[in-house]
Amino acid sequence: MNYWDRSFRTKRLIIFSSFIIFSFTILVLGFFNLQVLQREYYLQLSLHNVIRQVKLNPVRGLIYDSKNNLLVDNRPAFSAALIPAHTTKETIKKIADYFNIPVKNIIYRLRSAPRFRPVIIARDIEKKKLIYLAENQYFLPGLDIILDSKRYYPKDVNSPHIFGYIGEVNQKDQERDPRYELGDMIGKAGLERYYDTDLRGTKGIRYIRVDASGKELGDFNPQLNEPPIHGSDLYLTLDYDLQKFAESLMEDKRGSLVAIDVRSGGILAMVSNPDYDIRLLSGKIDPEIWRTLLQDESHPLYGRSIQSAYPPGSTYKIVTAIAALQDGIITPAWEAYCPGYFRLGRRIIRCWKIDGHGWLDLYGAIKNSCNVYFSKLGLKIGLKTWSKYSKLLGFGKRTGIDLPNENPGLIPTIEYFNKIYGENGWTKGNLANLAIGQGELLTTPLQIAQFAMILANRGLYHRPHLVDHIYNYQTQKTIYFPIQSKYVVGVSSEVFDVVREGMHQVVNGGTGWLGKVPGIDMAGKTGTAQNPHGDPHAWFMAFAPYYHPEVAIAVMVENAGSGGGVAAPIGRKFLEMYFYHKLIPRPVIKKDSLQVEPAINPIQSVPLDSLSPLPILNQPGTE
Amino acid sequence: MYRFQNIFKQIDFALLLPVIFLIITGLFTVYSATHITQASSQNYFSRQLFYAVIGVVLIFAVTFVPYKVIFDLSYLLYGVSLLLLILVLFIGIRGYGAERWLSLGAVKIQPSEFAKITTVLAVARYLSRNRRNINHISNLTVVFLMILIPFILIAKQPDLGTSLVFLALIIPMLYFAGISWFVLFVLVPPVITMVVSFNLYAYMVWILIITIILIFARQKLYLKILVFLQHILVGSLMPVLWNSLREYQKQRILTFLQPEKDPQGAGYQIIQSKVAIGSGGVWGKGYLQGSQSQLNFLPAHHTDFIFSVLGEERGFIGIFIVLTTFLFLFLYMLYLSNQVKSSFSRLALIGFTTILFFHTLVNISMTIGLAPVTGLPLPFLSYGGSFLLTSCLLIGISMNFSRNRFQP
Repeated sequence: MNYWDRSFRTKRLIIFSSFIIFSFTILVLGFFNLQVLQREYYLQLSLHNVIRQVKLNPVRGLIYDSKNNLLVDNRPAFSAALIPAHTTKETIKKIADYFNIPVKNIIYRLRSAPRFRPVIIARDIEKKKLIYLAENQYFLPGLDIILDSKRYYPKDVNSPHIFGYIGEVNQKDQERDPRYELGDMIGKAGLERYYDTDLRGTKGIRYIRVDASGKELGDFNPQLNEPPIHGSDLYLTLDYDLQKFAESLMEDKRGSLVAIDVRSGGILAMVSNPDYDIRLLSGKIDPEIWRTLLQDESHPLYGRSIQSAYPPGSTYKIVTAIAALQDGIITPAWEAYCPGYFRLGRRIIRCWKIDGHGWLDLYGAIKNSCNVYFSKLGLKIGLKTWSKYSKLLGFGKRTGIDLPNENPGLIPTIEYFNKIYGENGWTKGNLANLAIGQGELLTTPLQIAQFAMILANRGLYHRPHLVDHIYNYQTQKTIYFPIQSKYVVGVSSEVFDVVREGMHQVVNGGTGWLGKVPGIDMAGKTGTAQNPHGDPHAWFMAFAPYYHPEVAIAVMVENAGSGGGVAAPIGRKFLEMYFYHKLIPRPVIKKDSLQVEPAINPIQSVPLDSLSPLPILNQPGTE
Repeated sequence: MYRFQNIFKQIDFALLLPVIFLIITGLFTVYSATHITQASSQNYFSRQLFYAVIGVVLIFAVTFVPYKVIFDLSYLLYGVSLLLLILVLFIGIRGYGAERWLSLGAVKIQPSEFAKITTVLAVARYLSRNRRNINHISNLTVVFLMILIPFILIAKQPDLGTSLVFLALIIPMLYFAGISWFVLFVLVPPVITMVVSFNLYAYMVWILIITIILIFARQKLYLKILVFLQHILVGSLMPVLWNSLREYQKQRILTFLQPEKDPQGAGYQIIQSKVAIGSGGVWGKGYLQGSQSQLNFLPAHHTDFIFSVLGEERGFIGIFIVLTTFLFLFLYMLYLSNQVKSSFSRLALIGFTTILFFHTLVNISMTIGLAPVTGLPLPFLSYGGSFLLTSCLLIGISMNFSRNRFQP
């Protein structure tokens, strides 16, 4: 047999061709069957049973405090939406009249949206309107009522700067995260924003059959539907009783209070005042209210604890002291004479005590917060060393707290001064100013609290955070965030011991004596920061107990006067609440004496368990 | 003027015109399928237009390449494509599906597409050489290796759809190279035996059929007995082999056979495709009027399910015209394979026809639910530059063969 024979080839060609023709015949028959014989059936399916994908909104994650009290909850809210493909002109007109929205506005919004995606026209509609719409939905083709949710806060819960608020996604948000779809409600500030991807959950999908005018005819195939997944719940380190108490302390004041658990970095309380009613921004946001909040001169939208930076005043002398000690420039015994002022060229830096402190060593200088001593010290160490230690101790950079828009503050360096004043345009006066916490230097209250934590732990510190763990509904697991611990490298424990001792004396007969909690050995530092906006800002930072620290605190009251007189008592009251769960009555103070008998109110009932140190790392639960 | 007429005469319009028609139809359909998804619509259409223009230029360019160059380069190109396939396993970028890409700066190539053409050329050259007797076991082995190596490399990617194209090449190419009925009989039925051995009744009936064929075959007795034993062995070993696999291995094989892991997902696609096609009726809903395709219910409705969009908007008439065009193209390529003098051209044309036919058949059957969803694109119509260029290259080579049909 010759395989290359032409006739043989032709035979095989015919067979192969027949196979191809046969296959095509089957295809044509298949199409004939679908498009001609069964056409009516499929046409009905397509005309009257268009299948639509409906996105089901998940429940946004809840927020609890450290004692599992519910702080942020949800309530259902209904939104009216229009589906462009099914909406008639009449519907648009009726809806526009009903909600008092210009017709043009609605048409514009419908035009710029995908044809089969509902476009939300009005959010959080009132019950009366909702009932009316639901009753008349049949006469309003294209109208869709969407179940959404809005935030609900139990009574007594406010803290808008911690929780933040949610709002409708805008183009910028979508560019940031392409998963956001038009009309989504997303976190815009605070925890709502920082943990948005956790809180928001996963949307569900339901396939429904709808007729040509968009009316629902029921499920297409229930097995294809996907249920929405509840957003993760947040469990905070915040103790909301303490938080509420702290908020009451700051009432009528402008300022901030931050308390950190020094064993974990967990925020115990964080107050920024003035604030606003968090319920104002919980559902749809009224543009009127929004404008009022924006234009308010006391800036209630600003979270002062992390977003505002202030000169820290005398609290910053501790940084100067650490820099001088660690670099071996002085010993604690180094003495300077304070005549009440310090002349530097043509400038005079005054000490707060007009008569002067006389001869002081380092301990005395910290205890009495002597400006002259620290100005001299600042000149001795120089700007370079000062900036280096400022950075080392966590200033001039974000603490990394789990809230958006944190202000890094400002630590001037030689380069910075050269840029601002020109080379050699700045003087020693700038440096002397910085050394006592004045001038261009800016810190946030949170940074000062973090600094108090560094001092409490002798260099060990943890990233400040609000969220302790989250519960994920998809995996049904609790996820613990590891404590992120850092260490101040290059400052020895002995140096910390010296400044700690100085701060110990501050609250025991020093400038911070009003901050002393009876029965608790503690350490602190006051600050009174001059500023161009009026009275000085009052500062107080402290940690307690002195030997086994649990809590570090920073208090700042804007334009309120002296740190020792205004901020320290607030700090004391907070710490009393923390340790005793009540306020301790004060002894009557004679006006002419700075000394107070320390043991007028002896307290024995220190709860022992509060003194036991926490483990450094949280162990993941086994539930 | 004379020269121009000469060139004009050398173009095989019977090949070119159907292809141009299909490409234009594809462009319109891609536009219809994507214009609703606003922002990126322009993108899909203009990108496809860009590739279509390059494709047509490529057809003409390849048409006028000297015939000998194609013949001489075929082994080299085959080697290069094997190298690329190995390379892509290590440094390839994963695409949206299972396919892998090689990224060369701005240019991305899919070596598996390239390998389709080079494998056909290399096998054709090997088979055409010195009138080899294909029924000889050593020649057969070489051909099998030439096809199975790229098959395995692509299946490892793992791109099932494309790798199946290589398997589909084996039978037609051997068939036209003159393989005998009996060898074919030894090769093909065991595959069927493997499948039916999972069902006892089907297996018994199948063995009965084999036995009857064997009895009437004009072959030596011992060969018949060997073939019979082969079937019994394969049939009885398969279930044992299957059961000895671990659960996850079985799962892996099942997933490999069914690329759409979620059968419901694939079933849903097919329902949507059928609704779209069926509702089109005889005349279709009109261009850009398909409510189903516009609904975005068909994932990949501009790539794998492009034919459903066509079916909904242009109806049975449109479908019939396009199918007829395809049929004409394939039959003409087969006719051409009988006209060319060189057996290299002939076998290559058979291979090319098989590639295009296989893609077309699997893709279109899928849209009406006759074949599983495999993700093979439709030649000339589906969106996607890589496959469009491959198809054009293939047509270009065919036109080259047509121009040189009297070359021995």
